[in-house]
Amino acid sequence: MPDFEFFLQQLSNGLTRGSIYALIALGYTMVYGVMKLINFAHGELFALGAYLGYTLLVVFGLGGSLGPPLAIGLSIIMVVGLVSLAGYLLERVAYRPLRSSDRLAAVVSALGASIFLQNAIMLQWGAQYRAFGADLLPNVVFHIGGFNLPLVRVLVFVAAVAVMAALHVFVHRTRLGLAIRAAAIDQGAAKLMGVDVQKVIILVFIIGPALGGLAGLLVGVYYGQINFNMGQLYGLKAFTAAIVGGIGNITGAMVGGLLLGLLEALGEGYISVIWKDAITFLVLILILVFRPTGLLKERVAEKL
Amino acid sequence: MRSLFCSCLLLAAVLLAVPSVRADEPVKIGVMAPVTGDWASEGQDMVKVVEILAAEVNASGGINGVPVEIEVADDGGTPKTAALAAQKLVTSGVIAVVGTYGSSVTEASQDIYDEAGVIQVATGSTKISLTGKGLPRFFRTCPRDDEQAKVLAANVQKLGFSKVALVHDNTSYAKGLAEETREIFKNSGITEVYYDAINPADRDFTVSLTRIKAADPDVIVFTGYYPQVSLILRQKRDLDFDVPIIGGDATNNTALIENAGKEAASGYMFVSPPALADMNTESAKNLMATFQSKHNAQPSSVWAVLAGDAFLVLVEAMKAAGPDPEKMTEWLKTSLTDYQGLSGPIAFDEHGDRIGEVYRLYEVSADGVFVLQ
Repeated sequence: MPDFEFFLQQLSNGLTRGSIYALIALGYTMVYGVMKLINFAHGELFALGAYLGYTLLVVFGLGGSLGPPLAIGLSIIMVVGLVSLAGYLLERVAYRPLRSSDRLAAVVSALGASIFLQNAIMLQWGAQYRAFGADLLPNVVFHIGGFNLPLVRVLVFVAAVAVMAALHVFVHRTRLGLAIRAAAIDQGAAKLMGVDVQKVIILVFIIGPALGGLAGLLVGVYYGQINFNMGQLYGLKAFTAAIVGGIGNITGAMVGGLLLGLLEALGEGYISVIWKDAITFLVLILILVFRPTGLLKERVAEKL
Repeated sequence: MRSLFCSCLLLAAVLLAVPSVRADEPVKIGVMAPVTGDWASEGQDMVKVVEILAAEVNASGGINGVPVEIEVADDGGTPKTAALAAQKLVTSGVIAVVGTYGSSVTEASQDIYDEAGVIQVATGSTKISLTGKGLPRFFRTCPRDDEQAKVLAANVQKLGFSKVALVHDNTSYAKGLAEETREIFKNSGITEVYYDAINPADRDFTVSLTRIKAADPDVIVFTGYYPQVSLILRQKRDLDFDVPIIGGDATNNTALIENAGKEAASGYMFVSPPALADMNTESAKNLMATFQSKHNAQPSSVWAVLAGDAFLVLVEAMKAAGPDPEKMTEWLKTSLTDYQGLSGPIAFDEHGDRIGEVYRLYEVSADGVFVLQ
């Protein structure tokens, strides 16, 4: 395979993976931005999205009865709705009672919620790998020279980018978005300016999990195979992406996610498959050494 | 004085706590299996098969009139949990253990059983060195990796492939098999154009596949497990990369069809002990029928059946030599010669390895069935 086509192939591999990392990273970064809390249970909300998608598309057989585009559209809406409900409940049960206590208590609660959710998923859906079924989407592959681009991959990338663009517009162009940004800068001052901070927190705990759940569904549809502890690895990678992008910064999470995916694919493609994670994390550590606050530095200095 | 009295009391309590073996008390056989974790479907079927066979033994009067009791411990498919599971079985007073599946998992439990004087019959652990440690009471009903590597390499050669890409997943089993196979290729004029591992925790193997594609092999030899080969088959199809894959026995699981989809799985080949449908012994057919009526399904792989074989040889040994691990070991190594197990004739050599050729070549047909070649 000519070098340039090989490069294109790795580029497309990296962008697809990266767009999924970015979607999950947004959930970490939004919650951190407003609450200064790492929501460790976010990876499990992602896995929950994948399993709810599995239940709808495979167990209830929506994929067969409605036809792929309609079934996937409908399950996206339902998964996003259900996972954001789970996110809301998580905030209500695990974080709100600890709002005024020490930050460490909230971190421990987050870890506990993560362990609880992961085991709940295992008990509900079983410990085996679950398959989405290969015939959910027609297997269309575009050929550009020797470079092959499956349609599913384009769809995953487009869906992720579209959602991220919509989020960007929402945060920067609407009054609610303004409220989120205000609460992120200073909760007390935002309160004095008439921002309902409680509402903002709930909103963040709905949007973040919704994006994570969507990512879970996309992983299920794209790779066709899910298991109960998938949230761990994806959660860790996305969390890293959020940190590298500059935690609390929404654009940073997107950039960090895509960068992580690209680094992985290129490291794997040009250096070594086994050393992939070592290479990736070495580069990320170097980035943090030279830019300790991440690539897109938070504009408000005292936050970090 | 008082302390002496206390020690006497304590001694009495300890003496009373030691179980006295009576004739009507059931004899305990342990099953260590991955009931949860990545290999849960294998482990759960192992337990189901042994339970069915144990019920049959008990229904026909037990072992010399003594009923047999099954004690299950979950090893989670990880070495760490396996050590705990082994401790649990040993303290519960089993005299022999069936299991387990993964080689690295078995490895973590071997010494614990050895020290406790318990017989262990592994069922899916094919790593060569497991029987080379001089552990007297260790047996296995599955063949060894070097046997598998020989059959794998012979089939690659027989099918006329000359440039191979070897892929493993860094588990001790898959890496061992890949290295064995690699050695045989070197001596038989087959060129190796690619050799690397994948990370089984990943979902995306497209980069590995594009690298393999650039190396332009005639065939990919994959020595890992079925969840990963399912993804590889799918992603290979998505990349329009038309090269055959031939795998090892860890991919012999019908869940592969479901995970990869019939279209992507069709044409996939693997070497393995005979699949369930091709086991033509009377006992195997009976087992399948009972399993079907009880669980409304077939065991998803051959490994569960090898667990059944392990249980059956233990029962035979107990019948002939009594419930004593030392005598049973002696009997299994010297007197078990023409026993007809579920998967065919069973006998063990002095290391505890199963004697005889077991491996066959399978290919997945267009409608998703494993067909014996």
